[in-house]
Amino acid sequence: MSAPATWKSKYVIEPRDARTQSAGVEPGYAQTEWRWPSQPLQRRPHTLSELTGPQDVLKRLAPVRGDLAGQGAKRAIGQLIHLRTQVVDEDGAPVAGAAVEIWHANAAGKYTHRNDSHDAPLDPNFYGAARMTADADGRIELRTIKPGAYPTGGAERWWRPPHVHFSVWGRVWLSRLVTQMFFPGEPLNDSDGVLNAIRDPQARVRCIARLLPQTEGPENALVYEYRLVVRGSRATPALP
Amino acid sequence: MKRFVPTGEMTLGPFFPREFGQGANDLTAFEGRPAKGEPLEITGRVVQADGSPLDNVVLEIWQADANGIFRDPADPRYAQADPNFFGWGRAATDAQGIYTFRTIRPGAYPGRAPHVNFLILYSGLMRQLQTVMFFEKASDPVLDAVEPAALRERLIAKSEGAARYRFDIRLRGEGETPFFDD
Ligand SMILES: [Fe+2]
Repeated sequence: MSAPATWKSKYVIEPRDARTQSAGVEPGYAQTEWRWPSQPLQRRPHTLSELTGPQDVLKRLAPVRGDLAGQGAKRAIGQLIHLRTQVVDEDGAPVAGAAVEIWHANAAGKYTHRNDSHDAPLDPNFYGAARMTADADGRIELRTIKPGAYPTGGAERWWRPPHVHFSVWGRVWLSRLVTQMFFPGEPLNDSDGVLNAIRDPQARVRCIARLLPQTEGPENALVYEYRLVVRGSRATPALP
Repeated sequence: MKRFVPTGEMTLGPFFPREFGQGANDLTAFEGRPAKGEPLEITGRVVQADGSPLDNVVLEIWQADANGIFRDPADPRYAQADPNFFGWGRAATDAQGIYTFRTIRPGAYPGRAPHVNFLILYSGLMRQLQTVMFFEKASDPVLDAVEPAALRERLIAKSEGAARYRFDIRLRGEGETPFFDD
């Protein structure tokens, strides 16, 4: 029997760069002060347990259709868009077969969710959630409608810009990524408490999708391109 | 060679589809076939700074099978992994803040004591939190990394009878659970 105590991973996770990630507690976002730990986070060695992970979670979670816009009489209201997404790791290597969950509000800024009390209409033809598997090149294309902005509740009352939520499984347990994608040119992007929690301006820009030239997609849809980078890279081979 | 910086993590938000949190909290069987080992229930309550319970917190776990093998080809013993143990699961808390997993007691393997990895996602949590549940006090490189040492006992689940463990998670405040940054 091999001894994992001497096991060397071919894949490594390096510490987060603090400027490219939220600090946890965000001024002007009261919930973060109730929920983010007050004590410094602990450092741990990475062992087999953290550097392995589920290989195909969609064997456990049922896939949900990858077309949120609908067809014909069942078409959802809103601007038709295609989201062309690629899941890669820090080496730029595509994560083949990556599982991805996607959810977003309807064109009026309302979620199909019982906790959403925003005064905006539901769309009977829009469900707003998909679960998909990336192809061998880590790519997913989702046909949907552009979400609307919506106000946050509570004392802060800022408006969330249009955004799409993503939940992604990378190669290992520590590669899990939950994030939100934003749209270019939206004035609300500048004041959003979630997007601006990312302090590094370049890292923030990478959270905004790119509108492709209008000749790139089907006649009736705008196409946005977006890259999701999950944590992890190949270990540098040891010198002989 | 590294080319990209990992995407900034952001909160799950209050509107994670409720149905996405359901249906994956029983790891004792896979595709209808029972996993090898001792079935267990792991349950607990998730609370915030003022002690109030949190509804619809998403928890995910990752653990080895009864023989201490992970269902991942990166595990050197992967060929002997239990084909009926998936190793990964997801649960969501109810209105009382309670989550429940049914799983198999993970085996020990050289270098680590039996443990279950936890990942927590929630509205107002700007990025994922990770912690680890142990079944008893043991020598373990991750448990021993927790400082000050007095906090380590917070990662040890309370046995509630033979097949039930309680692992409460306090995000912030008195009795705060230790969380890991990686
Ligand atoms: Fe949202």
